[in-house]
Amino acid sequence: MLYVGSRTTDPYYNLAFEEYIFTSFRDEDVFLLWRNAPCMVVGSYQNICRETRVPALRRMGIPVLRRISGGGAVYHDLGNLNYSLITRQEGAADYERSLAPILEALRAAGVHARKNRTCDLAIGEKKISGSAQRAAGGRLLHHGTLLFDADLTALEEISVRGKNDCFQTKGTPSAICAVTNIRPHLARDMTMETFQRRLLDYMVPDLSNRLELPEAQCAEVRRLRDDKYRSWEWTWGKTPAFTYERSCVFAGKPAAISYRARKGIVADARIDSPVIDGPLAASLLNGARLDPDGFADICRKLAGERSEELLELLM
Amino acid sequence: MEKQLSLPRLREEMTSGVLCAWLKEEGDPVEAGEPLYEIETDKVVNQIEATEAGILKKQLREEGDEIAPGAPVAILETA
Repeated sequence: MLYVGSRTTDPYYNLAFEEYIFTSFRDEDVFLLWRNAPCMVVGSYQNICRETRVPALRRMGIPVLRRISGGGAVYHDLGNLNYSLITRQEGAADYERSLAPILEALRAAGVHARKNRTCDLAIGEKKISGSAQRAAGGRLLHHGTLLFDADLTALEEISVRGKNDCFQTKGTPSAICAVTNIRPHLARDMTMETFQRRLLDYMVPDLSNRLELPEAQCAEVRRLRDDKYRSWEWTWGKTPAFTYERSCVFAGKPAAISYRARKGIVADARIDSPVIDGPLAASLLNGARLDPDGFADICRKLAGERSEELLELLM
Repeated sequence: MEKQLSLPRLREEMTSGVLCAWLKEEGDPVEAGEPLYEIETDKVVNQIEATEAGILKKQLREEGDEIAPGAPVAILETA
């Protein structure tokens, strides 16, 4: 098993780094450990608008990224450790085989967790880790989160629990689970750095198997980061087609909002409100991209000082 | 010759998968081993590759469709 290190906490770079290693290391098993600055990461086939609180994330300056594996939306910050396990795919996809070494590594680091549901790890009844996979070209990418001392208050704030169900959409729904951090459950406290070192010592004990990518390959990762992970087309354009319909109150008066989006482009938009110029709303929204900043601009033109209130109702 | 391509059974207990992306359009030439489409099941995105070369004649299902293993997904025109 090889280990390849990433020195950055830039989520766009790290998702590109993982994909690059998944597609270019064809023979060896590879283990990765990486951390991201605060971000939301949605599954390959998810509707970002339904699975995240877009206006809240925009206010908090938390970006949304799309990954190449299945499953639901997860929150990352520096208190969350991500691991990836890249192996040859043998037979049907199987979580047991990928999770067994991770559970062993956790035990070696002093963390007593168990498998829960299909592919979660839990301490007691609370989730500490979620995972997902991608199988392609005879290779299997299994990756997961490990909540070590993540900001669970921020996580709660951006949870979609109670988000109005205004969407008729295809796409993978996220499971909303009770979570806990690993750190408060430790018999003897350790830092994130120690936790990370213990997992790595278990998974890849031989120092000569720990590598860093040479500069030429880092340049390819940066290209993938810019062309794919930072692109609107991948992140928002891949949102499954949906219809949004909402009856609400805007500026203290009843309002109705509806639109469709296909390949991330808005159509049939309609805002019925006594305080909003309906034809202007339709002309600004139709043909617009699903995009938090673009929607915020439109809301400023339509609602001035009440633009945040309108944005909350629109996405 | 036209060949019907069916969704393979990806896991023992698999009852269905969701077609999440077509990677080839109708009329596209396809090499053996080239990816055709992606299916999500149990948080796994599986890229399904063509087992032989040809032209993708027809996509029988669309993105978002739930498909049972063994059900037809596409028609491939082979030489």
